[in-house]
Amino acid sequence: MARTRSTKAAGSEAETKGAKAGASTSASSKATYTLPEATRSPPRVFILPKKATSEARIVTLQNPRYSRPTRYLVCPEAGFFEFTKIAAPKTTPRSWLIEGKPQTESENGTKSETQVTKGADLYIATAIDPLFLVLPALVAKDSADKKRMFLSSDDYFDSISEIPDSEAHNHLSEILSWPKTRQLVESRMASVCDTVEAGDEQMFRLNETKLLSEILSKAKRMANHGLPKSMADKFVAKALEAPILGVRSTQAAASSSEDAVVSSGTTTPSLESTDSQSSVETTSSTVSDASTAATSILSEFPQEVTNAITAPPEVISLQKLKISFDFICSSYLPPSLSKALKTQLLSGCGGSSTTEEVLLFKPQEEYLAKLAELRQKAAAARATTDYSRKRTRDEEDDERAEKRKKKEDEDKVKKANTSRGVKQLQKVNTSGMKKLSEFFKKKT
Amino acid sequence: MSKPILSLVEPKTATDDKPSTTATVTPHLLPCRIHHDGSVEPVQSFWDPTVSEDGKHTAYFRGRKLDGKSVKLPDGYRGIIAAAAAQDGAQIRRPEEEDPVELEQEGGQPETGKLQVQAEFDEMIVWGHEATADASADPYVRGMEEWLALADQIHSFPTSSTDQ
Repeated sequence: MARTRSTKAAGSEAETKGAKAGASTSASSKATYTLPEATRSPPRVFILPKKATSEARIVTLQNPRYSRPTRYLVCPEAGFFEFTKIAAPKTTPRSWLIEGKPQTESENGTKSETQVTKGADLYIATAIDPLFLVLPALVAKDSADKKRMFLSSDDYFDSISEIPDSEAHNHLSEILSWPKTRQLVESRMASVCDTVEAGDEQMFRLNETKLLSEILSKAKRMANHGLPKSMADKFVAKALEAPILGVRSTQAAASSSEDAVVSSGTTTPSLESTDSQSSVETTSSTVSDASTAATSILSEFPQEVTNAITAPPEVISLQKLKISFDFICSSYLPPSLSKALKTQLLSGCGGSSTTEEVLLFKPQEEYLAKLAELRQKAAAARATTDYSRKRTRDEEDDERAEKRKKKEDEDKVKKANTSRGVKQLQKVNTSGMKKLSEFFKKKT
Repeated sequence: MSKPILSLVEPKTATDDKPSTTATVTPHLLPCRIHHDGSVEPVQSFWDPTVSEDGKHTAYFRGRKLDGKSVKLPDGYRGIIAAAAAQDGAQIRRPEEEDPVELEQEGGQPETGKLQVQAEFDEMIVWGHEATADASADPYVRGMEEWLALADQIHSFPTSSTDQ
């Protein structure tokens, strides 16, 4: 014990020596490189649209989705831009090192020294439709009283120019004092509103059907142009992917392969009966193990993996459209409004113009419903065949054992409570006797 | 207190014979966090990235090999490095546009501030330790390549036919 302690002390001593040496070397290196003072206002990295003029201002407006004050870039010429902040997740530390190029330094005399920032935020300004910014105002009036009134644009703007939960105003009134910006916002409002001329003023009232078609057209444009790859992979390909039914595996036990056969056999006819327009690949479980009895029937198809169904192209495009629509709704619309729009889209209560859109999503919904069914079946099949999942089985065993024990305990208690007379009477042969209930029956 | 209205201030050299002589820089996104804000000159002794002939960026930072992926800004966008400028007395006023009623409501001029543009860039380099950044996973690459294009799709609207 004492020995280890002494060695440890020696070690720590050496460590401190080393640290001292390190400190002295770092001190000497500090002599050659002195770190300049940290700046009070660290530089930030922005990506801005080129068309924004020098008149552009960064202002605080109410976020249409979260109704929190958010920063926007507003330019009287180019319109509105929202900032998207890209920040590294906490698990991956990142920092900017902004390297100045030496040749430009000598060229114009402005020193572009190399800088470092602790935070690695990147602010990207992208265009935002001013329509989204005024939508909360158009809806807020709605929630107060069910009957929607025609109101002037100023009335609408007033309702969103105040920052919730604080006395302060945001900068909406400031930017609306620019005539071009005001004109832009009002023209966007008019595209989703019923308008009425009252004197020299234009009055607005939100028309949900117009709004729906406006957003749907945005979604269509987004879907037609092609979703970004990561989005397409995650929400279109994955969402439409059918469960894999047949997996070639030589180690599969005979019983499990039989189960797989049964499950695929049951899903195939149901598919064909429900679905006529989409191409259906008949499923087959391919088990090439000669020892299993089941293989003789269906080892005809040597595919490695067979998906139950593949999505027809129209379903894929519809799924894209749906994803786009949902994305817009969940990013830029107030929650209450996006909910209303979705129900309107699916039920078609919004009038005649939307009915074609309702029919539009029919095949996609049918496909998804079918897919859900298939997945459920695949999951069920897996539960019976998969012996690798030990944990769940253990739990089942535990449960069973617990039940048995409980029953035994109950029996014991019952036995302890019965008297000697009753116990002896249980041994009597009652097979020839009438049951007591016989005496209480109606006489026939 | 609400944040001030910020205006972007280009460097003063822009008024010279050359229209835009803002310094060009290259932002490097390092795969580590440096607990320092501000200048780190002289930098040449510990940061010297090289570009090979096939366009591969390589750098050694404190003895660790980093692989870089160059990300170009799409058309129509420019990158700037900007920092909040110190408040000076002369604030930008637009007296002719102010409505007296609004002034009464707000109790005075809203705060204004400046964002001093220090430099511009048209390319940034995302560095990974021993491996280049994965385009499908890295938020910076994705943000640049996917979001910029997507945002334009969502938010573009017909400017001429909106008036009915």
